[in-house]
Amino acid sequence: MGKEIISVRQFAIIVMLYSIGAAILILPATLTQVVKQDAWVVAVLGVLIGLLLVKFYITVGNISPKLSLVQLIEKVLGKYVGKIIVIFFLIFTYLSGTGLLYFLGDFMRTEVMPETPLVAFSGLFMIVIMFGTYLGIETFARSTEILFPVFFLLFIFFVVFISPQVDIEYLEPVLNSNPKSIINGILIFISEFAFPLVVMLMVFPVAINVPKSGTKGFYIGAIAGGIILITLITLCVLVLGPTDTAHRVFPSYAMAQRISIGNFIQRIEITMALLWIITLYVRIFFYFHVSVVGIAQILKLKNYRSLILPLGLSMVALSQMIHPDVIHQLKFNKEIWIPYSATFALLLPLVLLIVAKIRKIKSE
Amino acid sequence: MFKTIGILIIFTAILLFQLPKLKQNGEKKEIWTFSILLFISTTLCIAVALKVKVPNPYDLIIVIFKPMGEFIKMAFK
Repeated sequence: MGKEIISVRQFAIIVMLYSIGAAILILPATLTQVVKQDAWVVAVLGVLIGLLLVKFYITVGNISPKLSLVQLIEKVLGKYVGKIIVIFFLIFTYLSGTGLLYFLGDFMRTEVMPETPLVAFSGLFMIVIMFGTYLGIETFARSTEILFPVFFLLFIFFVVFISPQVDIEYLEPVLNSNPKSIINGILIFISEFAFPLVVMLMVFPVAINVPKSGTKGFYIGAIAGGIILITLITLCVLVLGPTDTAHRVFPSYAMAQRISIGNFIQRIEITMALLWIITLYVRIFFYFHVSVVGIAQILKLKNYRSLILPLGLSMVALSQMIHPDVIHQLKFNKEIWIPYSATFALLLPLVLLIVAKIRKIKSE
Repeated sequence: MFKTIGILIIFTAILLFQLPKLKQNGEKKEIWTFSILLFISTTLCIAVALKVKVPNPYDLIIVIFKPMGEFIKMAFK
Protein backbone atom coordinates (compact mmCIF):
# COMPACT_ATOMS: atom_id res chain seq x y z
CA MET A 1 0.00 0.00 0.00
CA GLY A 2 1.60 3.26 -1.12
CA LYS A 3 1.75 5.82 1.62
CA GLU A 4 -0.78 8.57 1.19
CA ILE A 5 0.10 12.05 2.40
CA ILE A 6 -2.14 15.08 2.88
CA SER A 7 -1.11 18.66 3.54
CA VAL A 8 -1.74 20.56 6.76
CA ARG A 9 -4.26 22.89 5.12
CA GLN A 10 -6.23 19.93 3.75
CA PHE A 11 -6.16 18.34 7.19
CA ALA A 12 -7.51 21.52 8.81
CA ILE A 13 -10.35 21.67 6.27
CA ILE A 14 -11.19 18.00 6.83
CA VAL A 15 -11.25 18.46 10.62
CA MET A 16 -13.51 21.48 10.26
CA LEU A 17 -16.05 19.88 7.93
CA TYR A 18 -15.89 16.62 9.89
CA SER A 19 -16.56 18.22 13.26
CA ILE A 20 -19.57 20.09 11.84
CA GLY A 21 -20.81 16.87 10.20
CA ALA A 22 -23.94 15.50 11.77
CA ALA A 23 -23.80 17.93 14.69
CA ILE A 24 -25.24 20.70 12.51
CA LEU A 25 -28.51 18.78 12.16
CA ILE A 26 -28.75 17.03 15.52
CA LEU A 27 -27.45 19.57 18.04
CA PRO A 28 -29.82 22.56 17.80
CA ALA A 29 -32.86 20.43 18.68
CA THR A 30 -31.27 18.22 21.35
CA LEU A 31 -29.52 21.15 23.05
CA THR A 32 -32.60 23.36 23.22
CA GLN A 33 -34.57 20.46 24.67
CA VAL A 34 -32.18 20.42 27.61
CA VAL A 35 -31.15 24.04 28.18
CA LYS A 36 -33.70 26.05 26.11
CA GLN A 37 -32.45 29.55 25.23
CA ASP A 38 -29.05 28.97 26.83
CA ALA A 39 -28.01 26.61 24.03
CA TRP A 40 -25.45 29.13 22.79
CA VAL A 41 -23.74 29.34 26.20
CA VAL A 42 -23.49 25.56 26.26
CA ALA A 43 -22.12 25.56 22.70
CA VAL A 44 -19.38 28.07 23.61
CA LEU A 45 -18.39 26.08 26.71
CA GLY A 46 -18.58 22.86 24.70
CA VAL A 47 -16.17 24.16 22.06
CA LEU A 48 -13.68 25.20 24.79
CA ILE A 49 -13.82 21.75 26.39
CA GLY A 50 -13.64 20.25 22.91
CA LEU A 51 -10.32 22.04 22.36
CA LEU A 52 -8.97 20.43 25.54
CA LEU A 53 -9.99 17.07 24.10
CA VAL A 54 -8.19 17.93 20.85
CA LYS A 55 -5.05 18.57 22.93
CA PHE A 56 -5.57 15.17 24.55
CA TYR A 57 -5.90 13.46 21.16
CA ILE A 58 -2.75 15.19 19.92
CA THR A 59 -0.87 13.79 22.93
CA VAL A 60 -2.18 10.31 22.15
CA GLY A 61 -1.28 10.69 18.48
CA ASN A 62 2.27 11.68 19.43
CA ILE A 63 2.91 8.48 21.43
CA SER A 64 4.21 7.08 18.19
CA PRO A 65 3.90 9.50 15.26
CA LYS A 66 4.71 6.88 12.63
CA LEU A 67 1.70 4.67 13.41
CA SER A 68 -2.01 5.11 12.77
CA LEU A 69 -4.48 4.61 15.62
CA VAL A 70 -5.17 0.98 14.71
CA GLN A 71 -1.46 0.12 14.57
CA LEU A 72 -0.88 2.10 17.78
CA ILE A 73 -3.54 0.14 19.68
CA GLU A 74 -1.96 -3.09 18.49
CA LYS A 75 1.53 -1.97 19.47
CA VAL A 76 0.61 -0.61 22.90
CA LEU A 77 -1.89 -3.24 24.04
CA GLY A 78 -0.15 -6.23 22.53
CA LYS A 79 -1.02 -8.51 19.66
CA TYR A 80 -4.10 -10.32 20.97
CA VAL A 81 -5.77 -7.80 23.29
CA GLY A 82 -4.93 -5.08 20.81
CA LYS A 83 -6.58 -6.91 17.92
CA ILE A 84 -9.80 -7.45 19.89
CA ILE A 85 -9.95 -3.76 20.90
CA VAL A 86 -9.27 -2.76 17.29
CA ILE A 87 -12.16 -4.91 16.09
CA PHE A 88 -14.50 -3.19 18.56
CA PHE A 89 -13.20 0.19 17.47
CA LEU A 90 -13.78 -0.63 13.80
CA ILE A 91 -17.30 -1.83 14.57
CA PHE A 92 -17.83 1.52 16.30
CA THR A 93 -16.72 3.54 13.27
CA TYR A 94 -18.57 1.31 10.81
CA LEU A 95 -21.86 1.43 12.72
CA SER A 96 -21.56 5.19 13.30
CA GLY A 97 -21.16 5.63 9.56
CA THR A 98 -24.19 3.42 8.99
CA GLY A 99 -26.21 5.48 11.47
CA LEU A 100 -25.32 8.67 9.64
CA LEU A 101 -26.21 7.10 6.29
CA TYR A 102 -29.65 6.33 7.72
CA PHE A 103 -29.80 9.87 9.08
CA LEU A 104 -29.06 11.43 5.70
CA GLY A 105 -31.63 9.21 3.96
CA ASP A 106 -34.19 10.05 6.64
CA PHE A 107 -33.55 13.77 6.20
CA MET A 108 -33.99 13.56 2.42
CA ARG A 109 -37.06 11.36 2.80
CA THR A 110 -38.92 13.53 5.30
CA GLU A 111 -37.98 16.99 4.06
CA VAL A 112 -37.10 16.83 0.37
CA MET A 113 -38.50 13.83 -1.54
CA PRO A 114 -41.21 12.12 0.51
CA GLU A 115 -42.16 9.61 -2.21
CA THR A 116 -38.70 8.12 -2.71
CA PRO A 117 -37.71 5.05 -0.67
CA LEU A 118 -34.88 5.30 1.84
CA VAL A 119 -32.66 2.84 -0.01
CA ALA A 120 -32.39 5.16 -3.03
CA PHE A 121 -30.70 7.89 -0.99
CA SER A 122 -28.43 5.59 1.00
CA GLY A 123 -27.45 3.66 -2.14
CA LEU A 124 -26.66 6.69 -4.27
CA PHE A 125 -24.79 8.42 -1.49
CA MET A 126 -22.82 5.28 -0.73
CA ILE A 127 -21.72 5.01 -4.38
CA VAL A 128 -20.06 8.43 -4.08
CA ILE A 129 -18.41 7.45 -0.81
CA MET A 130 -17.17 4.11 -2.17
CA PHE A 131 -15.79 5.90 -5.22
CA GLY A 132 -14.01 8.39 -2.95
CA THR A 133 -12.55 5.60 -0.83
CA TYR A 134 -11.41 3.79 -3.96
CA LEU A 135 -9.49 6.87 -5.10
CA GLY A 136 -7.86 7.25 -1.70
CA ILE A 137 -7.53 9.89 0.97
CA GLU A 138 -5.32 12.18 -1.12
CA THR A 139 -7.99 12.65 -3.75
CA PHE A 140 -10.59 13.04 -1.02
CA ALA A 141 -8.50 15.75 0.65
CA ARG A 142 -8.22 17.67 -2.61
CA SER A 143 -11.96 17.38 -3.16
CA THR A 144 -12.60 18.87 0.29
CA GLU A 145 -10.40 21.78 -0.76
CA ILE A 146 -12.81 22.35 -3.66
CA LEU A 147 -15.89 21.89 -1.47
CA PHE A 148 -14.63 24.25 1.22
CA PRO A 149 -15.21 27.56 -0.68
CA VAL A 150 -18.69 26.33 -1.67
CA PHE A 151 -19.44 25.52 1.93
CA PHE A 152 -18.06 28.80 3.20
CA LEU A 153 -19.94 30.98 0.68
CA LEU A 154 -23.20 29.16 1.40
CA PHE A 155 -22.65 29.62 5.11
CA ILE A 156 -22.06 33.39 4.69
CA PHE A 157 -25.17 33.68 2.49
CA PHE A 158 -27.15 31.73 5.05
CA VAL A 159 -26.12 34.02 7.92
CA VAL A 160 -26.70 37.20 5.91
CA PHE A 161 -30.07 36.14 4.50
CA ILE A 162 -31.44 34.93 7.82
CA SER A 163 -30.31 38.00 9.76
CA PRO A 164 -33.51 40.07 9.10
CA GLN A 165 -35.55 37.38 10.90
CA VAL A 166 -33.51 37.53 14.08
CA ASP A 167 -35.41 38.32 17.25
CA ILE A 168 -33.04 39.05 20.12
CA GLU A 169 -35.79 38.62 22.73
CA TYR A 170 -35.67 34.85 22.26
CA LEU A 171 -32.38 34.81 24.15
CA GLU A 172 -33.89 36.22 27.34
CA PRO A 173 -33.62 35.33 30.16
CA VAL A 174 -29.93 34.54 29.83
CA LEU A 175 -28.47 31.75 32.01
CA ASN A 176 -31.80 30.74 33.48
CA SER A 177 -31.17 26.98 33.41
CA ASN A 178 -29.78 25.12 36.40
CA PRO A 179 -26.12 24.04 36.39
CA LYS A 180 -27.00 20.35 36.13
CA SER A 181 -28.76 20.71 32.80
CA ILE A 182 -25.94 22.94 31.54
CA ILE A 183 -23.45 20.12 32.27
CA ASN A 184 -25.80 17.70 30.54
CA GLY A 185 -25.93 20.05 27.54
CA ILE A 186 -22.14 20.28 27.42
CA LEU A 187 -21.94 16.47 27.46
CA ILE A 188 -24.37 16.24 24.54
CA PHE A 189 -22.42 18.91 22.67
CA ILE A 190 -18.98 17.37 23.04
CA SER A 191 -20.28 13.87 22.32
CA GLU A 192 -21.31 15.10 18.86
CA PHE A 193 -18.57 17.64 18.26
CA ALA A 194 -15.36 16.47 19.93
CA PHE A 195 -15.65 12.74 20.64
CA PRO A 196 -15.81 11.70 16.96
CA LEU A 197 -12.53 13.57 16.38
CA VAL A 198 -10.74 10.55 17.88
CA VAL A 199 -11.15 8.95 14.44
CA MET A 200 -8.82 11.66 13.07
CA LEU A 201 -5.93 9.83 14.80
CA MET A 202 -5.99 7.43 11.85
CA VAL A 203 -4.42 10.18 9.69
CA PHE A 204 -2.87 12.35 12.39
CA PRO A 205 0.11 12.55 12.45
CA VAL A 206 0.83 9.55 10.15
CA ALA A 207 -0.41 10.91 6.87
CA ILE A 208 0.43 14.60 7.28
CA ASN A 209 3.33 16.06 5.35
CA VAL A 210 4.58 18.31 8.19
CA PRO A 211 3.55 16.59 11.47
CA LYS A 212 4.69 19.58 13.59
CA SER A 213 2.29 22.05 12.00
CA GLY A 214 -0.33 19.31 11.77
CA THR A 215 -1.02 20.09 15.42
CA LYS A 216 -1.85 23.67 14.44
CA GLY A 217 -4.10 22.39 11.66
CA PHE A 218 -6.00 20.23 14.14
CA TYR A 219 -6.65 23.22 16.43
CA ILE A 220 -7.57 25.57 13.57
CA GLY A 221 -9.99 23.06 12.09
CA ALA A 222 -11.67 22.39 15.44
CA ILE A 223 -11.93 26.11 16.27
CA ALA A 224 -13.39 26.97 12.83
CA GLY A 225 -15.87 24.10 13.06
CA GLY A 226 -16.79 25.15 16.59
CA ILE A 227 -17.42 28.75 15.57
CA ILE A 228 -19.69 27.68 12.71
CA LEU A 229 -21.62 25.37 15.05
CA ILE A 230 -22.01 28.11 17.69
CA THR A 231 -23.27 30.52 15.01
CA LEU A 232 -25.83 28.06 13.66
CA ILE A 233 -27.12 26.99 17.08
CA THR A 234 -27.45 30.62 18.17
CA LEU A 235 -29.23 31.54 14.93
CA CYS A 236 -31.67 28.64 15.39
CA VAL A 237 -32.64 29.95 18.83
CA LEU A 238 -32.77 33.55 17.57
CA VAL A 239 -34.93 32.82 14.53
CA LEU A 240 -37.20 29.94 15.57
CA GLY A 241 -37.19 30.48 19.32
CA PRO A 242 -36.21 27.81 21.85
CA THR A 243 -39.56 26.02 21.95
CA ASP A 244 -39.93 25.69 18.20
CA THR A 245 -36.31 24.58 17.80
CA ALA A 246 -36.72 21.88 20.45
CA HIS A 247 -39.80 20.40 18.80
CA ARG A 248 -38.34 19.92 15.36
CA VAL A 249 -36.25 17.05 14.06
CA PHE A 250 -34.28 19.23 11.62
CA PRO A 251 -34.43 22.78 13.02
CA SER A 252 -31.67 24.21 10.83
CA TYR A 253 -33.64 23.18 7.74
CA ALA A 254 -36.80 24.78 9.15
CA MET A 255 -34.74 27.91 9.73
CA ALA A 256 -33.60 27.95 6.10
CA GLN A 257 -37.24 27.78 5.04
CA ARG A 258 -37.83 31.11 6.80
CA ILE A 259 -35.40 32.94 4.49
CA SER A 260 -37.28 35.62 2.59
CA ILE A 261 -35.58 38.71 1.21
CA GLY A 262 -38.13 41.25 -0.03
CA ASN A 263 -40.52 38.43 -0.98
CA PHE A 264 -38.10 37.71 -3.82
CA ILE A 265 -35.38 35.34 -2.59
CA GLN A 266 -37.45 32.56 -1.08
CA ARG A 267 -37.56 28.78 -0.83
CA ILE A 268 -33.81 28.41 -1.12
CA GLU A 269 -33.62 25.88 1.71
CA ILE A 270 -32.49 23.05 -0.54
CA THR A 271 -29.47 25.10 -1.63
CA MET A 272 -28.73 25.55 2.05
CA ALA A 273 -29.14 21.80 2.54
CA LEU A 274 -25.90 21.49 0.55
CA LEU A 275 -24.23 22.72 3.76
CA TRP A 276 -25.08 19.57 5.63
CA ILE A 277 -24.87 17.26 2.65
CA ILE A 278 -21.23 18.34 2.17
CA THR A 279 -20.38 17.95 5.87
CA LEU A 280 -22.23 14.65 6.19
CA TYR A 281 -20.32 13.42 3.15
CA VAL A 282 -17.01 14.21 4.84
CA ARG A 283 -18.08 12.49 8.05
CA ILE A 284 -19.52 9.32 6.53
CA PHE A 285 -16.56 9.10 4.16
CA PHE A 286 -14.17 9.26 7.08
CA TYR A 287 -15.95 6.66 9.15
CA PHE A 288 -16.08 4.32 6.15
CA HIS A 289 -12.49 4.98 5.09
CA VAL A 290 -11.24 4.29 8.61
CA SER A 291 -13.19 1.01 8.83
CA VAL A 292 -11.87 -0.23 5.48
CA VAL A 293 -8.26 0.85 6.02
CA GLY A 294 -8.38 -0.38 9.62
CA ILE A 295 -9.43 -3.88 8.56
CA ALA A 296 -6.67 -3.91 5.96
CA GLN A 297 -4.14 -2.78 8.59
CA ILE A 298 -4.96 -5.39 11.23
CA LEU A 299 -5.00 -8.19 8.66
CA LYS A 300 -1.80 -6.73 7.14
CA LEU A 301 -3.24 -6.68 3.63
CA LYS A 302 -1.25 -4.89 0.94
CA ASN A 303 -4.25 -3.22 -0.62
CA TYR A 304 -7.52 -2.18 1.01
CA ARG A 305 -9.40 -1.49 -2.22
CA SER A 306 -10.87 -4.98 -2.66
CA LEU A 307 -12.76 -4.61 0.65
CA ILE A 308 -14.63 -1.46 -0.43
CA LEU A 309 -17.47 -2.98 -2.44
CA PRO A 310 -18.54 -5.73 0.01
CA LEU A 311 -18.31 -3.44 3.05
CA GLY A 312 -20.01 -0.55 1.27
CA LEU A 313 -22.95 -2.61 0.08
CA SER A 314 -23.52 -4.17 3.48
CA MET A 315 -23.45 -0.66 4.93
CA VAL A 316 -26.35 0.27 2.64
CA ALA A 317 -28.20 -2.89 3.72
CA LEU A 318 -27.54 -2.21 7.42
CA SER A 319 -28.68 1.39 7.11
CA GLN A 320 -32.10 0.08 6.11
CA MET A 321 -32.62 -1.85 9.33
CA ILE A 322 -30.64 -0.32 12.21
CA HIS A 323 -33.36 2.15 13.12
CA PRO A 324 -36.91 0.85 12.66
CA ASP A 325 -38.27 4.38 13.10
CA VAL A 326 -37.18 7.91 13.92
CA ILE A 327 -38.09 7.57 17.62
CA HIS A 328 -35.57 4.74 17.94
CA GLN A 329 -32.92 6.96 16.39
CA LEU A 330 -33.67 10.02 18.54
CA LYS A 331 -33.64 7.89 21.67
CA PHE A 332 -30.35 6.31 20.63
CA ASN A 333 -28.79 9.71 20.04
CA LYS A 334 -30.03 11.11 23.31
CA GLU A 335 -29.34 8.29 25.73
CA ILE A 336 -26.94 5.73 24.30
CA TRP A 337 -24.62 7.80 22.11
CA ILE A 338 -22.91 9.64 25.02
CA PRO A 339 -21.62 6.56 26.93
CA TYR A 340 -21.09 4.62 23.70
CA SER A 341 -18.89 7.22 22.02
CA ALA A 342 -17.17 8.11 25.31
CA THR A 343 -15.96 4.51 25.61
CA PHE A 344 -13.97 4.87 22.40
CA ALA A 345 -13.21 8.58 22.54
CA LEU A 346 -12.26 8.97 26.22
CA LEU A 347 -11.62 5.57 27.78
CA LEU A 348 -9.65 4.03 24.91
CA PRO A 349 -7.16 6.93 24.41
CA LEU A 350 -6.77 7.21 28.19
CA VAL A 351 -5.94 3.50 28.49
CA LEU A 352 -3.52 3.87 25.56
CA LEU A 353 -1.74 6.79 27.21
CA ILE A 354 -1.43 5.05 30.59
CA VAL A 355 -0.28 1.72 29.18
CA ALA A 356 2.21 3.43 26.88
CA LYS A 357 3.62 5.29 29.92
CA ILE A 358 3.91 2.07 31.93
CA ARG A 359 5.40 0.02 29.12
CA LYS A 360 7.68 2.95 28.22
CA ILE A 361 6.85 2.85 24.52
CA LYS A 362 8.77 5.73 23.01
CA SER A 363 8.35 7.45 19.70
CA GLU A 364 11.22 6.57 17.49
CA MET B 1 -37.74 -12.81 -6.00
CA PHE B 2 -36.70 -10.11 -8.47
CA LYS B 3 -34.84 -8.35 -5.68
CA THR B 4 -32.88 -11.49 -4.87
CA ILE B 5 -31.96 -12.04 -8.52
CA GLY B 6 -30.94 -8.39 -8.89
CA ILE B 7 -28.72 -8.55 -5.82
CA LEU B 8 -27.17 -11.82 -6.99
CA ILE B 9 -26.41 -10.27 -10.39
CA ILE B 10 -24.73 -7.26 -8.74
CA PHE B 11 -22.61 -9.45 -6.49
CA THR B 12 -21.62 -11.80 -9.30
CA ALA B 13 -20.53 -8.75 -11.27
CA ILE B 14 -18.41 -7.61 -8.32
CA LEU B 15 -16.90 -11.08 -8.01
CA LEU B 16 -16.06 -11.27 -11.72
CA PHE B 17 -14.64 -7.75 -11.63
CA GLN B 18 -12.45 -8.16 -8.53
CA LEU B 19 -11.30 -11.78 -8.49
CA PRO B 20 -9.05 -11.75 -11.59
CA LYS B 21 -7.24 -8.67 -10.27
CA LEU B 22 -6.71 -10.30 -6.86
CA LYS B 23 -5.53 -13.56 -8.45
CA GLN B 24 -3.06 -11.61 -10.56
CA ASN B 25 -1.49 -10.10 -7.44
CA GLY B 26 -1.40 -13.57 -5.90
CA GLU B 27 -2.41 -12.42 -2.41
CA LYS B 28 -3.98 -15.46 -0.69
CA LYS B 29 -5.04 -13.52 2.38
CA GLU B 30 -6.66 -10.78 0.35
CA ILE B 31 -8.68 -13.26 -1.70
CA TRP B 32 -9.94 -14.95 1.47
CA THR B 33 -10.91 -11.69 3.21
CA PHE B 34 -12.63 -10.45 0.09
CA SER B 35 -14.57 -13.70 -0.42
CA ILE B 36 -15.72 -13.96 3.20
CA LEU B 37 -16.81 -10.31 3.32
CA LEU B 38 -18.59 -10.65 -0.02
CA PHE B 39 -20.44 -13.72 1.22
CA ILE B 40 -21.57 -12.00 4.42
CA SER B 41 -22.55 -8.92 2.46
CA THR B 42 -24.62 -10.90 -0.08
CA THR B 43 -26.48 -12.74 2.68
CA LEU B 44 -27.17 -9.52 4.54
CA CYS B 45 -28.38 -7.67 1.45
CA ILE B 46 -30.77 -10.47 0.45
CA ALA B 47 -32.05 -10.82 4.02
CA VAL B 48 -32.76 -7.10 4.27
CA ALA B 49 -34.34 -6.98 0.81
CA LEU B 50 -36.69 -9.86 1.70
CA LYS B 51 -37.46 -8.24 5.06
CA VAL B 52 -36.19 -11.23 7.04
CA LYS B 53 -35.71 -10.34 10.70
CA VAL B 54 -31.96 -9.83 11.07
CA PRO B 55 -30.59 -9.17 14.58
CA ASN B 56 -30.01 -5.45 14.83
CA PRO B 57 -26.46 -4.53 16.00
CA TYR B 58 -27.75 -1.31 17.50
CA ASP B 59 -30.04 -3.27 19.84
CA LEU B 60 -26.99 -5.01 21.30
CA ILE B 61 -25.27 -1.64 21.81
CA ILE B 62 -28.43 -0.32 23.46
CA VAL B 63 -28.51 -3.30 25.86
CA ILE B 64 -24.84 -2.79 26.78
CA PHE B 65 -24.89 0.97 27.30
CA LYS B 66 -28.40 1.45 28.63
CA PRO B 67 -27.50 1.37 32.36
CA MET B 68 -24.81 4.00 31.81
CA GLY B 69 -27.18 6.12 29.72
CA GLU B 70 -29.91 5.92 32.36
CA PHE B 71 -27.37 6.89 35.00
CA ILE B 72 -26.39 10.01 33.04
CA LYS B 73 -30.04 10.83 32.51
CA MET B 74 -30.82 10.48 36.23
CA ALA B 75 -27.71 12.35 37.35
CA PHE B 76 -28.54 15.46 35.35
CA LYS B 77 -32.31 15.57 35.80
